[in-house]
Amino acid sequence: MVLEDHSIPTANMYLFWKVGARNEVHGITGLSHFFEHMMFNGAKNYGPKQFDRVMEANGGSNNAYTTENVTVYADWFQKDALETIFKLESDRIASLSIDSSMVESERGVVLSERSTGLENSNFRLISELVKATAFQEHPYMLPVIGFESDIKSWTQRDLEDYFKTYYSPNNATVVVVGDITLAQVRKLANQYMAPIPARGLPPRVRTVEPPQNGERRATTYKDISIPNILLTYHTPETGHSDYYALDLLNNLLSSGNSSRLTKSLVMDSTVASQVFTYMADGFDPNLFYVYAVAADGVSAEQLETSVLAQIDRLIKEGVSEEELQKVKNQKLMEFYRGIQTINGKANNIGTYEMFFGDYRKLYEAPRLFEQVTPADIQRVAATYFTKRNRTVGYLLPETGE
Amino acid sequence: MTLTVSAQNNFKVPTHEKFKLKNGLTVYLMEQHEVALIYASAVFDAGSMHDGERYGLATLTADALLFGSAKYTKEQIEATTDFVGAELNSVAGKENAEVTMSFAVKDTDKMFDMLRQVLVSPVFDATEFEKHKQRTLLQLTQQKESPQAVIGNYFNKLLFGQHPYGSPTGGIGATVEKISADDVKDFYEKYYTADRAAIAVVGDFKTADMKKRITALLGDWKTAKSLVGKDNAPEVNLKNSRVLLVNKSDARETTFLIGGKGIVYNNPDYVPVLVVNTILGGRFTSWLNDALRVNSGLTYGAGSRFNRYKQGGTFYISTFTKNSTTVPAIDMALGVLDSLHRTGLNEDILASAKAYVKGDFLPNYESSGALASLLTDMFVYGFDESFINTFQSVVDDLTVTRANEIIAKYFPKDNLQFILVGKADEIRDQVRKYGSITEKEIKEEGF
Repeated sequence: MVLEDHSIPTANMYLFWKVGARNEVHGITGLSHFFEHMMFNGAKNYGPKQFDRVMEANGGSNNAYTTENVTVYADWFQKDALETIFKLESDRIASLSIDSSMVESERGVVLSERSTGLENSNFRLISELVKATAFQEHPYMLPVIGFESDIKSWTQRDLEDYFKTYYSPNNATVVVVGDITLAQVRKLANQYMAPIPARGLPPRVRTVEPPQNGERRATTYKDISIPNILLTYHTPETGHSDYYALDLLNNLLSSGNSSRLTKSLVMDSTVASQVFTYMADGFDPNLFYVYAVAADGVSAEQLETSVLAQIDRLIKEGVSEEELQKVKNQKLMEFYRGIQTINGKANNIGTYEMFFGDYRKLYEAPRLFEQVTPADIQRVAATYFTKRNRTVGYLLPETGE
Repeated sequence: MTLTVSAQNNFKVPTHEKFKLKNGLTVYLMEQHEVALIYASAVFDAGSMHDGERYGLATLTADALLFGSAKYTKEQIEATTDFVGAELNSVAGKENAEVTMSFAVKDTDKMFDMLRQVLVSPVFDATEFEKHKQRTLLQLTQQKESPQAVIGNYFNKLLFGQHPYGSPTGGIGATVEKISADDVKDFYEKYYTADRAAIAVVGDFKTADMKKRITALLGDWKTAKSLVGKDNAPEVNLKNSRVLLVNKSDARETTFLIGGKGIVYNNPDYVPVLVVNTILGGRFTSWLNDALRVNSGLTYGAGSRFNRYKQGGTFYISTFTKNSTTVPAIDMALGVLDSLHRTGLNEDILASAKAYVKGDFLPNYESSGALASLLTDMFVYGFDESFINTFQSVVDDLTVTRANEIIAKYFPKDNLQFILVGKADEIRDQVRKYGSITEKEIKEEGF
């Protein structure tokens, strides 16, 4: 997919691979993320370290991210470097080499990445616990970074199989945005990407999470000062028709100081010191997260009660047209802000293509948000925010027991 | 293998207008028409430089600008802003305080009214202020749960001591506790003065119209005259290597900074320093990241940076590694720094770094928000667009000989300062070799 944007003389290439933690099983957890690292560690024409060295020497830079659903690689470069980028990307897609000494040092890197996440983020700790409790069957239960013991024990064979299975060119969507032309991209894509043979598509994820039929609870401890709580509710896959109402609900709850949870728990009272909510993307039904950190002297139980009271109020009383209009306006502004830069454009176009099956849904989104009614909001709140569908996690200060 | 891009693309600061209102307020206007949004950024000489002993005063003042005005309560300000999906934020740094906003063109009247209210007639509501103070106190405690969130404060304290650059901008419990709504009102009246302030507006408008609007909006704003004199430069005389070991008894890794004195914001050699630092620790293939991450797997990431202030600066290497590899990681980082001094640079690596720095530069000025920040930075730090417009040629002109002189002149070599946040019992004995050691508990208030 190509979008010409000549505002600055740079361009980017985003490669979206349909592989993420949902494709993993016990024993190889974290492999999707590990490939996000190994893809930089050498291929046939550009050996170990050369991908980054050549790219940076050409004024380019790159990054990548892995989620439960996808692995995304992004290259940013001056427009003259387009061909070099095609050479680099096609080389690693066609013939990645999985060098065993690179695997060993990269294991250390990923163990350090996992450790520093847990060291510096309380949310990291509690969200891994809650995910693993909310999902009993579907692989969304697995942490994207992987289990420590799995990171230490992947085999060369695991890696080779994973690459063969998931890094087939027909499992990727490439987005190029910037000061380039469609004709240039077409020519280079035909030259460098087209010759890479397609393989069979990866097997589909078979496991379907059954409906949660009762509240689940989990607790863990850390040397922290005040309780953190995390509530989750199962919600449908991203392409579902309730997506727009749920995403507006997310803004209603925690976007801005006038949002329901922030206003009632953080601003007007002193129950929480921090609140946020978000709905996780998913090719399969995933979770809606409600995270809160207590204020001084407030227990996890009190905090939970206050959060639930707000959610119940939303279900019982619904929202006014005006409050709904507020979050629709916010969505429109998020849309504009999201397409201001060439990076925002590329990432948004690719994300919509992945999760909605058509990048044009990006441009339809403002209209689809606008169509949501107060009754829709109340209905989705009542449908998904039920006690039976809820998992509650507590992260509590160490008790010294 | 080094391939360089032949045709470089020279970026110039987009056309803009700069003028002063009668009250002394400097205004920058720049048209950007790609999306129907407007970004505004107002800066004041009201940073934590002026906190004195009351650490956190500038931060609380900036926060409290949004706690209600002559016309609107805090709740009304938030409701109005949220309703149109606008952003309105205020923050204090060391050198200045900043109010930023962004909104859709159609909401200009509403949001400009809001901007005037928060800048010109904030009321510093005491009830809201007290609630905010309690939240701030809690956040200061929670901050200590993340080594990454606080290690920089320890480093600045160690390097700058009693100079204001050494003070934590966010405050500490003991000082924040004592600050009242009246204190922030006084601070506002003294330091939010139009004669040392600027506002940049960037976005989808016509300059001539916007000039009238801004003049009508802020032209009659009367403030006190600024009494701010020239700030004293910090004296940084590092006579020996020192190690501050901050104990976090449940740490699973050691987070550390190693460094020393840096450069001032307007140091004429900043661009060469940036290019050389790119090689040492400013990109993925930098020598530090290559050694500590790629070759050895000791860490997820290692780098180095220069933090610049008007009158001083810091340089540090930063990374983290599991408790048991603390010493190998530190030794390796020191080895890389030493090799920069001992071996210096060659043509190939310099050419690569120059291409990288130039490539990395452009996207920094792509969005309207980024351009508004650029304009206010020019005002705060006293540089002009020639810095941007000549950036590429200054990079191109750097020779290997000059780069090696830059290393000798600006990159610390001896008497390094170490901050290690980790499990003291497991590393104390091994890290004594780096310098005279002092210990603190991370949960102890302050830095």
